[in-house]
Amino acid sequence: MNEGLARRMSAAGQPAKGTPMLAFVLRRVMQSVVVLFVMSLVVFSMINLVGDPVDMLVNPESLPEEIDRVRRDFGLDQPVHVQYWKFLLGAISGDLGKSFIFGRPALALMAERFPATLELATSALVISVTVGLPLGVYAGLRPDGWGTRIIMGGSVLGISIPTFWLGLMMIIVFSVVLGWLPVSGRGETSRFLGIESSAFTLDGLRHLVLPATNLALFKIAMVIRLARAGTVEVMALDFIRFARAKGLAPRRIVLAHLMPNILIPIVTVLGIEFGTLIAFATVTESIFAWPGLGKLVIDAIVNLDRPIVVAYLLFVVTLFLVLNLVVDIIYALLDPRVRLQGDET
Amino acid sequence: MSEAKAVSAGRPETGLLSKFVRSDLSRPTTLISGILLLLIAASATFAPLIAPTDPYDLATVSVLDGRLAPGEEMLDGTIAWLGTDGAGRDVLSAIIFGLRTSLTVAISSALIALVVGLAVGLTAAFYGGRIDAFLMRIVDIQLSFPAILVALVLLALLGKGVDKVIIALAIVQWALYARTVRAAAMVERRKEYFEAAICLELSNARIIWKHLLPNSVSSLIVLATLQTAHSISIEATLSFLGVGVPITEPSLGSLIANGFDYILSGAYWITFFPGVMLLATVAAINVLGDQLRAMVNPRLSR
Repeated sequence: MNEGLARRMSAAGQPAKGTPMLAFVLRRVMQSVVVLFVMSLVVFSMINLVGDPVDMLVNPESLPEEIDRVRRDFGLDQPVHVQYWKFLLGAISGDLGKSFIFGRPALALMAERFPATLELATSALVISVTVGLPLGVYAGLRPDGWGTRIIMGGSVLGISIPTFWLGLMMIIVFSVVLGWLPVSGRGETSRFLGIESSAFTLDGLRHLVLPATNLALFKIAMVIRLARAGTVEVMALDFIRFARAKGLAPRRIVLAHLMPNILIPIVTVLGIEFGTLIAFATVTESIFAWPGLGKLVIDAIVNLDRPIVVAYLLFVVTLFLVLNLVVDIIYALLDPRVRLQGDET
Repeated sequence: MSEAKAVSAGRPETGLLSKFVRSDLSRPTTLISGILLLLIAASATFAPLIAPTDPYDLATVSVLDGRLAPGEEMLDGTIAWLGTDGAGRDVLSAIIFGLRTSLTVAISSALIALVVGLAVGLTAAFYGGRIDAFLMRIVDIQLSFPAILVALVLLALLGKGVDKVIIALAIVQWALYARTVRAAAMVERRKEYFEAAICLELSNARIIWKHLLPNSVSSLIVLATLQTAHSISIEATLSFLGVGVPITEPSLGSLIANGFDYILSGAYWITFFPGVMLLATVAAINVLGDQLRAMVNPRLSR
């Protein structure tokens, strides 16, 4: 769970001492383009080794001529390098190929599904902060209390517990036994301030609660740990002691002096982890049949729908490269130590 | 962080184990986790001897036994303590055999990743310069993607199967080992014995193998422990998604996935019990790993 943190701790990817920001950004962008290109090449060539998608597309009793026709229609009769070249030319003009199963552009399909995933990930983020932050601060303020033991024990459990299994257990308890919440799907959506979301209707919310909580669980444990560590650290500092000596109310010390200081690292880490949420959404979406990107790609993998798999991969790689670059730039801007540290510690 | 590693790296490895055993007994949670893990490992190893029935022997499994609740009696008189699944397999036996697959996958992938990570990390630390920068850039790029996603994509490319999952998990993990061992080895490099070894003009291979490796390895033990728990989890998730281990050779994850089809009809036990076993295994390893880390790296423990 501390992958993100560990990632940040190493300064290897940061701009080295004395490198101007623009040169750093340009170099990283170039690197990203190379990574994208290599990934597309590897994925495209390897995916052609797994199974024959035509088997999934035609009726087993079809005539050989018909199978050949389907093969030709999708350009699968050509050698891989020709296929790749065509794909590359298309990709440059924003066309990532057509889904074998849906017969529609992969990019359009993904754009259609993305809002649902975004909604799920955002809700999970909100839940993890609203639940994790108070618990973590409490644990930090009373390091030896019973409440703290329970919270920290719970967070170890939260890290160990396989998310997908917990999702199933949530379905059993809340949907099958208690019958309170629907099992699957997204429910009714409505438009508010130009954003289409299920968070604005009761039915939509009822559908959203279980998947969002499930996805949030892992992050709750993380926020608890970060908040606790931050609280312990900050509460020992001089300005808190001074605030206490001045006789400020504990509530005010926590809200006005502690919070701003522990929030910055938490927000940063959560920003980085947003990408992980989108990745983990594949699992949650499969359990709750949430019609997002993740479900689309899992179905595509099972059905050998290559264009979708390739398009999803390129999308995710781009997302992560951009996310990481932005975080590195912000770090370098905010924290001069990062720039001065150089490459090696 | 690096200084603490340096302190621990100087210690001989034998001390670690005996120290672990001693402190192990002093804490009840650790003791329970240790016993639990031993039991789990033993039942996975001796699965055919321990399991009440052979869940994959088609001659004895009968559909007529399908979906028996926990504690009910099967046709041949054995009691299915944890119930049976849709095909009439005893859930308890399936779990014991499933553990086997799960542990095999996790441990072998951890070993492969460890070897590759060691080789890359030591090479980077020893040669430094461009080689180091290049290797660590690859590590950075790989680690900037979540493990589950990388594994998912790899399996989409490789196809299903136990061997494929092991390969995918090894590829997912090597970078973490490489970075850890490099950090430890960089610290060793600055020590006097290392300079002495260079001055003696020992061969590169000998310096790396005899000096850098033994002294950099202690932080890896902790990582390997925690990573094993992590990869058991990832494997289960992948198998649950239907891209991991096929149902013909079930792991805990595929057992849970198998039970997924029955939860709406109320047969909770098919998916509940394999999950409990999965949780117990992962939690036990995590607790022991945390304890190990606290010992190897005393500064982290509060």
